[in-house]
Amino acid sequence: MLITRDLFDRLCAARDLLGEVRESSPSIPQIAAHVGISPFHFIRQFEALFGTTPHRFRVDSRLRQAQLLLARGHHSVTEVCMEVGFTSLGSFSSLFSRRVGVSPGSYQRHARVLIHVPAFVPGSLFPGCLTLMEGLPASAFRNFREAQPGAHR
Amino acid sequence: MKIKLTSILVDDQDKALEFYTQVLRFQKKFDFPVGKYKWITVVSPEEPNEVQLALEPNANPAAKTFQEAMFSQTIPLAAFEVDDIEKEYERLKALGVLFTREPTRSGPITLAVFSDTCGNLIQIYQPSH
Repeated sequence: MLITRDLFDRLCAARDLLGEVRESSPSIPQIAAHVGISPFHFIRQFEALFGTTPHRFRVDSRLRQAQLLLARGHHSVTEVCMEVGFTSLGSFSSLFSRRVGVSPGSYQRHARVLIHVPAFVPGSLFPGCLTLMEGLPASAFRNFREAQPGAHR
Repeated sequence: MKIKLTSILVDDQDKALEFYTQVLRFQKKFDFPVGKYKWITVVSPEEPNEVQLALEPNANPAAKTFQEAMFSQTIPLAAFEVDDIEKEYERLKALGVLFTREPTRSGPITLAVFSDTCGNLIQIYQPSH
């Protein structure tokens, strides 16, 4: 398929809207209408451009935001679940576990430990290894510098 | 000093390996775990011992921001040379690839631009003879 610049910009705008994680968000047909794309074409064009459906992209954005919030440690798993727009704790937990590999609760406890460990340096340096760092919140890096020697596990 | 390794950011390494091998027809060279991610490189079947392209995760927030900005500004993050761009264009379109620019003459080359479905616009170009 070949798309115009105008349609490309609309699809990018839709992606930005889908990426906005909130407790309650517009539906996918509403987003398609908002950017002026027919619902029939929207899902197909979105998937061809971004390699994922609008629904999967939204779920992914929510789960990524959930990781950040859990790592910060200020909210309970249930609070994070609702804040990112899930209505069922059960589906949030299973989607999260499938994507991240551990339950939201385990992730929150594990992330807290990581934040207080001095920076880990990869043993073998591959080109571009600096891009392999996890997406921890900025506060994690501040705490890396503040950690006392010997405070790691 | 030789240029034998280059890299591109991708939003999903498994999805990228599939697209770069099944659709673009590059060949996997390396694929092994590195911590939470993988070290994946592909090569051109036309030059399997020359330049490797690493498919790097964009987990670093700065990388993601950069990649998304370039994408929305329609700036391709890699360019691959082809012998027959019209043929390649038809072949890729038939496979469902989305193009943002059809083959277009631009000075000494003809170029086209498509999405690699992993967060990048990619340019293919055919040098003029």
